[in-house]
Amino acid sequence: MRIVRSVRHKSCADGSFMKEFLLSTPIPEGFFAYLGNFGKVEALPNIGEGFYKFEKPDWFSIKGFTGDTTVEVRFKKEVMDLTVDFLYLLFTTYREEGTDLRVLKQREQAVGRRVQEHLYGR
Amino acid sequence: MANTLPIIYLNNAATTWPKPPEVLEVVRQSLALPVFGSGRTTGSQGEDYITLAREALSGLLNADPPEHVVFTQNATDSLNILIQGFLAANGDGCHVLTTALDHNSVLRPLHELERQGRIRLTVLPFEDSAVRPETVEAAITPETRLMVTAHGSNVLGSVQDVPRIGEVLHDHGVFFIVDGAQTAGHIPVDLGALPADAYVFTGHKGLLGIPGTGGFYLRDLESVAPVRYGGTGTDSFSLYQPREMPERFETGTHNYPGLAALAAGANYVASIGMKAIAEKAERQTAFLVRELKEEPNVTVYNESPSLPIVSFNIDGVENDDVGFILARAYGIVARTGLHCAPLVHRAIDGGRGSVRLSLSWFTTDEECRTAARAVKEIARNANSSVGSS
Repeated sequence: MRIVRSVRHKSCADGSFMKEFLLSTPIPEGFFAYLGNFGKVEALPNIGEGFYKFEKPDWFSIKGFTGDTTVEVRFKKEVMDLTVDFLYLLFTTYREEGTDLRVLKQREQAVGRRVQEHLYGR
Repeated sequence: MANTLPIIYLNNAATTWPKPPEVLEVVRQSLALPVFGSGRTTGSQGEDYITLAREALSGLLNADPPEHVVFTQNATDSLNILIQGFLAANGDGCHVLTTALDHNSVLRPLHELERQGRIRLTVLPFEDSAVRPETVEAAITPETRLMVTAHGSNVLGSVQDVPRIGEVLHDHGVFFIVDGAQTAGHIPVDLGALPADAYVFTGHKGLLGIPGTGGFYLRDLESVAPVRYGGTGTDSFSLYQPREMPERFETGTHNYPGLAALAAGANYVASIGMKAIAEKAERQTAFLVRELKEEPNVTVYNESPSLPIVSFNIDGVENDDVGFILARAYGIVARTGLHCAPLVHRAIDGGRGSVRLSLSWFTTDEECRTAARAVKEIARNANSSVGSS
């Protein structure tokens, strides 16, 4: 699964920058559980095919429905240029049969250090 | 997912949809022939849509004479022209009143003037979704010269007691600008009786026109000076803006297709009748409020709105997420967030924002039932939200 293109964007009242992305395939059932390795996932599983929201504080949030081909992402604007590549990676790396998290975890740590430094100077 | 669902459009307080077939057709017609504007062409093959629109608005709002109906780009444009024009005519330094119910179209122009040191501003609080006339009277000082406020709240759906507020203001010689963006075309408005010195409307909401049109009715032309100058197609030898209405404020080429649509929209509204429109809206709005209130974790912010607007939140689910779910899982178009009215939300929900469902003449009972079912379903499932990290 990969992000094909951005189909909508806007600046939000909370200061975040929203982008809606079109995906190459519908979101599989296990995708949001996989995202739980990198942040907090909230769900209303009985609405539609299941509404999910992933939150990675200071980075971005992703919301969407299982089976849908678009997701809404809200970036923390100040560090968007640091985190956007990781977002793309989250989608391309996911495998339904099981994802090797090692490379992603390393990248998360590296980006996390830069985000921390940019936002808090440490 | 949402692409396969029929659209249930409940964001009519932002822009009404659908438009009557007459409106769509007249836009096509207006562009199919050369435009005809008095003083700007010798042609007479086309309709004079500007005059038609002025007559239609004048009739619908009982705004007499029709020439005192002025066309602008939208309600925000009208408010800026009137507020800036009032100061241009009367001078800086006065005290101005507005309310916490107001939209940024009122709040931002006034706060900018306050920041520039040109006015002193008081923002009045509201109680039970409305500002009390007594609160207005208590805030008036010898320097108060202007009050600008919404006729109807775009968040709470309440209608201000403009008759009584207007009386209070006029007793003290205060000029009264009423923002009717949410009331024109939704409830009967009689400008012959309403004590407003200026009444602002927009074309694309209750009047069923298309975006890019709005205007205002101004009773006394001398009370507001023009703040834009240019060609009017009249009195062209003069190098100064004409004093007459509406040329005093209308400058440059008009939005012909937009005004054609506005005339058709206003005529459509008149043909149905304001009473019928208001009664249907009241019935459907009461149904939605009643249904939503059944859920213990749903907070409805005004349980008896006078306009077809219902604002609410579901405990445990962010309003933005509710809007996302309504759109994607049910095909329901709503609006979430602050609705450009930040001070209302500061008072009712701590600035968190709300979900807003707003209806139009074209909203069906079935759509209301579907919306109520959807909100209730989300509310009931909010308790089953699972989290992990």
